[in-house]
Amino acid sequence: MGEGLRGSIETTGLTMIYRSGKVEVPAIREINLTVGPGEFVAIMGPSGCGKSTLLHLLGGLVRPTRGQVLIDGIDIAKLSDAERTAVRREKVGYIFQRFNLLPNISARANIELAKRIHGNGHANLYKDDHILALLGIKEKIGFRPTELSGGEQQRVAIARAVINQPSILLADEPTGNLDSHNSRLVLTLLQDLNQRLGQTIVMITHDSEAASMANHVIEMRDGRILARTHHFVYEPEFEGLF
Amino acid sequence: MTHSLVAANILSRPTRTLISILAVGTGVILMLIIGGITTGTLNDYLNRTMSVGADFILQPSGSTVFYAFSSAALPIKLADKLRETPGVGAVAPVLAKFSSADFGLVFGIDLATYDQFPGRLEILEGRNSLQGNEVIVDDLYAMSHKVSPGMTVEILGRKFTISAICRRGSVVRVFVPLPTLQQMNGTEDKVTIMFIKAAPGADVESVFRELHRAYPGLALVRTTDPSVLLADTRMPGLKEFRLTVVTVSMLISFMVILLAMYTTIFERTREIGILKSMGASKAFIVGLILRESVIISLLGIAFGVGASLIIRKLITTAFPTLQVDMTFVEVLRGSLLGLLGGTLGALYPAYKAARMDPVQALSYE
Ligand SMILES: Nc1ncnc2c1ncn2[C@@H]1O[C@H](COP(=O)(O)OP(=O)(O)OP(=O)(O)O)[C@@H](O)[C@H]1O
Ligand SMILES: [Mg+2]
Repeated sequence: MGEGLRGSIETTGLTMIYRSGKVEVPAIREINLTVGPGEFVAIMGPSGCGKSTLLHLLGGLVRPTRGQVLIDGIDIAKLSDAERTAVRREKVGYIFQRFNLLPNISARANIELAKRIHGNGHANLYKDDHILALLGIKEKIGFRPTELSGGEQQRVAIARAVINQPSILLADEPTGNLDSHNSRLVLTLLQDLNQRLGQTIVMITHDSEAASMANHVIEMRDGRILARTHHFVYEPEFEGLF
Repeated sequence: MTHSLVAANILSRPTRTLISILAVGTGVILMLIIGGITTGTLNDYLNRTMSVGADFILQPSGSTVFYAFSSAALPIKLADKLRETPGVGAVAPVLAKFSSADFGLVFGIDLATYDQFPGRLEILEGRNSLQGNEVIVDDLYAMSHKVSPGMTVEILGRKFTISAICRRGSVVRVFVPLPTLQQMNGTEDKVTIMFIKAAPGADVESVFRELHRAYPGLALVRTTDPSVLLADTRMPGLKEFRLTVVTVSMLISFMVILLAMYTTIFERTREIGILKSMGASKAFIVGLILRESVIISLLGIAFGVGASLIIRKLITTAFPTLQVDMTFVEVLRGSLLGLLGGTLGALYPAYKAARMDPVQALSYE
């Protein structure tokens, strides 16, 4: 699976039309988007403009109505369900606004489940420790999601998303349910992961401060990309946090 | 670990899990206890019939294996004609009557002819006599009814005096004089069956052929070995009955697991969406659901087998004369069928879970 290219995303003519009865809802219209390996991209736009749909398409959770989605050179739009799932398992980590941890098992079990699904349940213990330390959740690892604060839950969710070292992280409003302190913490973590591990990150956000952490900001309206702006990422105030 | 996910899921709804376990267990109990009583009664019948030591039983054709349900249809005079048949050594006419109070058969016999058989009554206590209002019971009957020779017992609504106690293992536990039972039954010159023994030195097979030829309208059953007896005897509906019990038991497991898992997957729609977003394959999700149902089924089976053993103990304590056969093979078969029912019940919900649309599942409240 294209070991050379790591974490590149490219869509051409990407279109997603939802049908409910006779009504057609075009959620994504002819989007051409390129995100290079190791880039950190923020997506902004009003509610209903198709941000989440785009993220679902990039991770292969849904198949587009038309167009291509190349993940490290593989067009996942052409793949079967099982093949798309395999690409997602191999290359993509999802982070959600609602954290989406499995509620009945501990933080540790949530993270281990990701490893299990990936098929490396017994590998990389050293790296895991490093990631848990990086995310500052080592002490809370035995807790259930309900016993954790929102910020802690999201950090566990990030750990779960990155534990298998996917080349791409897709985050749908990861700070949407967090206070400003925890938002900053999570954003800094994402930035750190992006810089240290070189993971490509596509993050939806409504918060321009959050967006300012990214290399690029993509503006969406009505299923289209309006503009792509470049940011200089240098945030000295967060240095020395780790 | 997925083990902990399966365990957590099982524990997340303790009541539902418990009810599922009880239901699967109930299916297993049904299978083992009803099956055990059926086989036990049949084996008991075979052993007892064999114990008479006859070579053949002659019955009216169309009789079932259980004499209890056959009517007294053979004329007693037939006994003398049978004795004249070449090769026939001994003939014992018997009137069998089912006593619901004792849950067992009462045999009306003529002691003199009955004693010509190898399985004649072995008297432990009292006088070897059977006339008028006399009755001979076996030691198990005497023990459970706390009676001894000289005492009066009520049998089939009539008072009898115990003349003797015989050793258990005879064809039935209660013997009364043939004429007395015939009179009570209102069938003065009729009997239910004839036990027949070939004369010493006579070829059993040729006697069988001869009798068969002479009485084509009657059912002649060989009692030389249990499998032949079992094969020769008519047991109407036994197979169907067993199949029905097994089917009903499996259906219970099947339906309960189906319902439990079906509600489970809807309750966990979001979690299934999460697993899919994490890259879980369909096989992985099917595996989760199947493992959960297998664990519930196994717990149900363990409960069912344990409860069956206790129930068997209770039954045989309350009714010492009733036999409940539960061999290892039968327990294993019951367990496997319970597991099969449960697993089949989980297949559809598992398939449904694996097919869920991940995005819709993720937005499920
Ligand atoms: N399963 C669906 N069926 C029909 N229409 C859908 C479905 N999912 C999304 N849509 C429609 O597609 C459009 C884009 O939805 P999407 O969720 O991508 O927006 P969004 O930009 O993420 O909005 P928000 O900021 O509120 O999360 C909306 O008009 C929405 O109603
Ligand atoms: Mg959205």
